[in-house]
Amino acid sequence: MTAPGTPATPGLERAAARATARRGAWLAAPGALYLLLFFLLPMAILVVYSFGTRTATGRTLLEGWNLESYRRLFDDVVVRVMWRSLWLAVLTTVICLIVAYPFAYYIATRTARLRNLLLVLVMVPFWTNFLVRTYAWRVILGRNGPLSTVADWLGFADVRLLFTETAIVIGLVYGFLPFMVLPLYASIERMDWTLLDAGRDLYASGWQAFRRITLPLTMPGVIAGVILTFIPSFGAYVTPEILGGAQTTMLGSYIQSQYLGVSDWPFGSALSFVIMALMLVGTVIYFRTGARTV
Amino acid sequence: MTTRAGLRPRGLMERLLAAHGWVVYVFFYAPIALLVVYSFNTGNRVNTFQGVGLRWYRAIGENEPLIAAIQNSLVVAIVSTVVATVIGTATALALERFRFRGRRAYDAVLYLPIIIPDITMAAMLLVFFVQVFQPIGINLSITTISISHIAFNIAFVAVVVRARLAGLDPVLEEAARDLYASRWQAFRRVTLPLIMPGVLAGGLLALTLSLDDVVITSFVSGPGSTTLPVYVFGLVRRGVTPLINAVSTVMLAASMVLVFSSLLLQRRRGT
Amino acid sequence: MEQPAVRLARVEKHFGDVVAVAGLDLDIVDGEFFSLLGPSGCGKTTTLRMIAGLEFPTAGAVEIYGEEMGLRPANKRPVNTVFQSYALFPHMTVRANVGFGLQMQDVGTAEIADRVGRVLDLVQLGGFEDRKPRQLSGGQQQRVALARALVNEPKVLLLDEPLGALDLKLRQAMQLELKALQERVGITFVYVTHDQEEALTMSDRIGVMSGGELLQVGTPEEIYEHPATRFVAEFIGETNFVPVTAAGPDVVALADGTRVPLAASHPAGTELTMTIRPEKVVLFPPGGEPGPPAVTLPGTVTRRVYLGNSLFYDVDLGAVVVRSRQENAPGAHHFAEGENVVAAWEAASAVALDQ
Repeated sequence: MTAPGTPATPGLERAAARATARRGAWLAAPGALYLLLFFLLPMAILVVYSFGTRTATGRTLLEGWNLESYRRLFDDVVVRVMWRSLWLAVLTTVICLIVAYPFAYYIATRTARLRNLLLVLVMVPFWTNFLVRTYAWRVILGRNGPLSTVADWLGFADVRLLFTETAIVIGLVYGFLPFMVLPLYASIERMDWTLLDAGRDLYASGWQAFRRITLPLTMPGVIAGVILTFIPSFGAYVTPEILGGAQTTMLGSYIQSQYLGVSDWPFGSALSFVIMALMLVGTVIYFRTGARTV
Repeated sequence: MTTRAGLRPRGLMERLLAAHGWVVYVFFYAPIALLVVYSFNTGNRVNTFQGVGLRWYRAIGENEPLIAAIQNSLVVAIVSTVVATVIGTATALALERFRFRGRRAYDAVLYLPIIIPDITMAAMLLVFFVQVFQPIGINLSITTISISHIAFNIAFVAVVVRARLAGLDPVLEEAARDLYASRWQAFRRVTLPLIMPGVLAGGLLALTLSLDDVVITSFVSGPGSTTLPVYVFGLVRRGVTPLINAVSTVMLAASMVLVFSSLLLQRRRGT
Repeated sequence: MEQPAVRLARVEKHFGDVVAVAGLDLDIVDGEFFSLLGPSGCGKTTTLRMIAGLEFPTAGAVEIYGEEMGLRPANKRPVNTVFQSYALFPHMTVRANVGFGLQMQDVGTAEIADRVGRVLDLVQLGGFEDRKPRQLSGGQQQRVALARALVNEPKVLLLDEPLGALDLKLRQAMQLELKALQERVGITFVYVTHDQEEALTMSDRIGVMSGGELLQVGTPEEIYEHPATRFVAEFIGETNFVPVTAAGPDVVALADGTRVPLAASHPAGTELTMTIRPEKVVLFPPGGEPGPPAVTLPGTVTRRVYLGNSLFYDVDLGAVVVRSRQENAPGAHHFAEGENVVAAWEAASAVALDQ
């Protein structure tokens, strides 16, 4: 029994903290090991491959590291593909944002029961297979498809809709619109609506209230939606393959052909790595600047 | 609540928003509806109706590679969902409730599989399997597909479960401990039941992502190990036939059943 | 001497650079209702959590009935906690909540049912067994939390501001109920609160904390009548602070030099603060005041506030303005603003403070 005034027992807190840390580490270990082995290691191997050389038979030579593949990134062909991917992704993202914001706003301003129903109706296409949804547009935009028929009626003879950049954008917008709607909705729904009351009390018009209060407050949702839409659009593979043509190659298809077509793995790896790095850097920058406006 | 309803844009604005909403919903559903309608076309061409019937649905049953692909999809989806859900939940718990060295780094790395483009992940895994697995005799197969699906699903499950966990007041677990529960008992009797909706949501997400995946699977699957979406993808590239419409409709129906049953489950649990 | 229910020996808690609890020494007597009283952030909740085993001290030892707790986690300590937010398990019924601790201790099903039934009767919630927490009012939830802790018959019951979320009338009723319960059950209660009236109402002894330090421990009367520090005097009830200077044994001088008796043995010239409660300052019309040994000073009423059951006056004595509180008794003379009065108090009613 210790009487008051005896020297303190040190270290209990530290011992307890260490025990907790050990338990936490054990819990985190399976996931960490898995990702180390099947994610980080593959990434490292990818980078190594990007420094390799393609032999005449399409195999990869890892001896003799060089930056040849990275130099080729600046070739005309590659640059054109990159710009096209960038342009189409930006277009898709902007269209999605413009369409999704009023839509999300509308849903967020309904009564609770209606909101849930409307959300489920948005989620249902989202939960169905992406491939199937893109294929639907292949049918619609096809030579004898409904849109073509309508165009014929209206007098536009033989309009080429399929295998164009327009088709790709339509497909991308269709595929990724829910990715823009959901974060926007979450952000709008969470907003403190009494702030708009305050704005009105301070003589703001509807538009001013939106621009100065609602928009800045929902910016986190905008950022999340933009990221979730732009990144997959930039690296899209399925949509351009189904709806695009030879003239509209995007990065995704281009990279795929390096691996499973031309068998130029070093070059494919360099491309894959660069696109990933670009996305990561872009995301970080966007987060930083976006966060500051909030 | 009254405030929000009171801020509904009035008059013209409200009607424009509603109209816009309708247009978007039509945009969402019309293509799907069209697809389904045309699947009942008994003719050979997709766009011109030659008769109504279940010809192409029957054709699915007779298509052996298609059946094999469906089986593969299901096996991969179930395996990867179960494994990813368990590991993802453990990871979410570790990151949210514990403090250990390297936690912040792990936190950052965990988001990578979600953010990086599919195509890069596909390439990474391909070179990995070729470089590391093939020399030891494991070829591209259902195994490699499952491994790949688990790799990206862990992150998705962890994020979903973590969100649910973050909303769970840690005082509840403290109360359990105060009432003589061991750590495992506190987890099983208090934490787990309360995060179960999140775990199920994460599992459902993993299942969907696995069943949906085209890019990564097409890179890491070998001969004889095609999954349904990859097989359909191959069909689509070769040309449009009502068979694909029929397959698509079946896939759509399956997704809907999955989603609605999960929603019903959630409603019954009172979430 | 009988073993203390809880002994805290030189207990310290640091969160990084922040010192939440600084070198605390405290003995809590077996069977008493002890309150830790202080403003938010003073360390009282942290101290409670260290007794419960939800936190571990950075230094120092926690003993419960003579056993040092050391690294023993919460589930191995013979104490139970009633949390501020009640922490009822939302997915369990009242019965399952209350019986949870007993289940964890592997008590038999029949016994659990019996004890749960009895404790729910004790807190007057018999019949609520099958409800879920969200179907209960705040007061009912609070009683379930109490029952859930009591049913385990802990040696010490810890309560972390359990009445904070209730409205005034309910809170006051619950205070008396809790006190009666404690007397009936006989368990040592350690009660954390920031409400000094609550502490005064229920406690056998109070420990006043501020900034992580235990400033004074004593019965409500001791703390109220003889505050040890300026903080304690100010935190409990209302008081007057009069700056004085020591001017000899048991005499101090006001700012204008007037000498006034006060129990203080500081060297002459030391600056002190004299504190006296408003209800101890009685006002008389000039000429009607009591003589020595009462301290009397002439002054003018500068403010008068009527509160229904009492009135208070601010009286300018020249050197200082003091507040006097007067009960609204039948027949008492109420003074007006501007009226000349004489303020009087017993010298023993005032306390000298160092700050």
